[in-house]
Amino acid sequence: MFRAELLKLRTVTSTWVALAVGVIGLLVTQVLLVTLLPAMANGTILGDEPGLREELGAIDTGSQAFQYSALNLLGTGGSSGSIGIATIAVVALGILVGTTDYRHGGIVGTALARPRRTPILVGKVAATSATAAALAVVLAAISLLVLLLLVWTTPASLAVPIVDILSSVGRGILTVVLLALLGLGIGMLVRSQLAAFLTVGALLVGEPMLQGLAQLFTGSLPTWALFLPVSLAYVGMADAPSAVLSPAIALGALAAITAVVLTAATVTLRRRDL
Amino acid sequence: MDNTPALAVRGLRKIYGHTTAVDDVSFTVPRGRVLGLLGPNGAGKTTSMRMLLGLAHIDGGQAHIHGRPYAELENPARTVGAVLDAGGLHPGRTARQHLRIAAAMGGMDASRVDPLLAEAGLTTAADRPIRTYSLGMRQRVALATALLGNPSVLVLDEPANGLDPAGTRWLRDLLLNFAAGGGAVLLSSHVLAEVAHVADDIVVITEGRVAGSGSIEALTAEYGGDLESYYLNLTAASSDRASSDRVSSENEGVR
Repeated sequence: MFRAELLKLRTVTSTWVALAVGVIGLLVTQVLLVTLLPAMANGTILGDEPGLREELGAIDTGSQAFQYSALNLLGTGGSSGSIGIATIAVVALGILVGTTDYRHGGIVGTALARPRRTPILVGKVAATSATAAALAVVLAAISLLVLLLLVWTTPASLAVPIVDILSSVGRGILTVVLLALLGLGIGMLVRSQLAAFLTVGALLVGEPMLQGLAQLFTGSLPTWALFLPVSLAYVGMADAPSAVLSPAIALGALAAITAVVLTAATVTLRRRDL
Repeated sequence: MDNTPALAVRGLRKIYGHTTAVDDVSFTVPRGRVLGLLGPNGAGKTTSMRMLLGLAHIDGGQAHIHGRPYAELENPARTVGAVLDAGGLHPGRTARQHLRIAAAMGGMDASRVDPLLAEAGLTTAADRPIRTYSLGMRQRVALATALLGNPSVLVLDEPANGLDPAGTRWLRDLLLNFAAGGGAVLLSSHVLAEVAHVADDIVVITEGRVAGSGSIEALTAEYGGDLESYYLNLTAASSDRASSDRVSSENEGVR
């Protein structure tokens, strides 16, 4: 099923669009955040534009924190308050794997070939993981290239040890795969492509809003609000532990959420009439 | 010699909420025979086929292929070829890509893809997106996909939909040769003339129940061998019975 699912992915335009949006989205975001913003803040570009330096603040491109943010595979710079284009593209990739078969009736042919159905989901999980991992490697290459470009073109030197770079990239790849699998699980549960995109859109947009409201009413961010998928993904990729969660625990929690959604998708796939 | 029928359906039942879509449907298809499954729209033909193929859960009865439920066949894609809902074709893929994917899903050799495309008359269109195909061409792709695993059983739901006269002739010859080679065919169709050409036996379903079954020859003898007359008479009678049943139960409800 793995080979068949990979073939399915390769032969539809929407897969390539999702991958291209992820790559171009990260490229644009990283170039903007890692090279253009510091150059503007330092006056290299636009010169001494009145108020610009004060508005942007001092950006130390030689700091570890800045360089870690440059290594963020989803282009969010470790911020949990925004959703990167790459994040949306990665989840969309999973949704497409989960819903394209339903959208055009291909699930019938798939179920005829694999009537016990669990192998269908196993094949989709394997194909999604492989494709998301390949995308993540490209995203990692872009992040590294942008960081190296920064080091070569500015007086800043590389502040992040190689081992930490590899660790950061490794966690980034794992996060991308988990987010894509989460999209797959939601897609397989919801079945309708439009409904799945609306559901995920609501979750992505709703998460920071929910956290904001929780913070507003309780005065501080409650612990449960940290265990939401996008926050877990960003903490999982972060260079330093947050006040409550370490990256390892965050990735473990994200993996657990993904596993629950995929298990629910398997159970419903086995029970549903097609 | 194994006397197990290629297809055996006994007491099949399907219930959706308060509606019984299929009720006590039984039939068998021996090797080398073509069975036409007939009935008005919504009679339960497609639901019966879906239950036979493990796509819909069975609420009662049994549906076996070579003595086993579909899900328990060792190589389902090599045993049964099926056409349902115009084949589940993605409009952005080409026919060649669709067949290669089907081969990979069924664990089959992709070497049969090109010969089957040629047999279905699709060689020149094989690398065009399916969205540019006519309904008849889509049916040809679906039929080629059904034949990919060199199956011994064909389950075809309205396979003649959209086929031009040449395509209809191709399908007819295909089914007759398939049965002559020992294959079993379950064919649902509204084109009664085509069914009369290829089927040995028929089962007529109305409102989820079998209204008539047997060999075409025996069933249509009273109507001078005319399948259409037999079918229309049978379905009209069933419809009248159902209407009078409804009126009776409504009257009982009033009382």
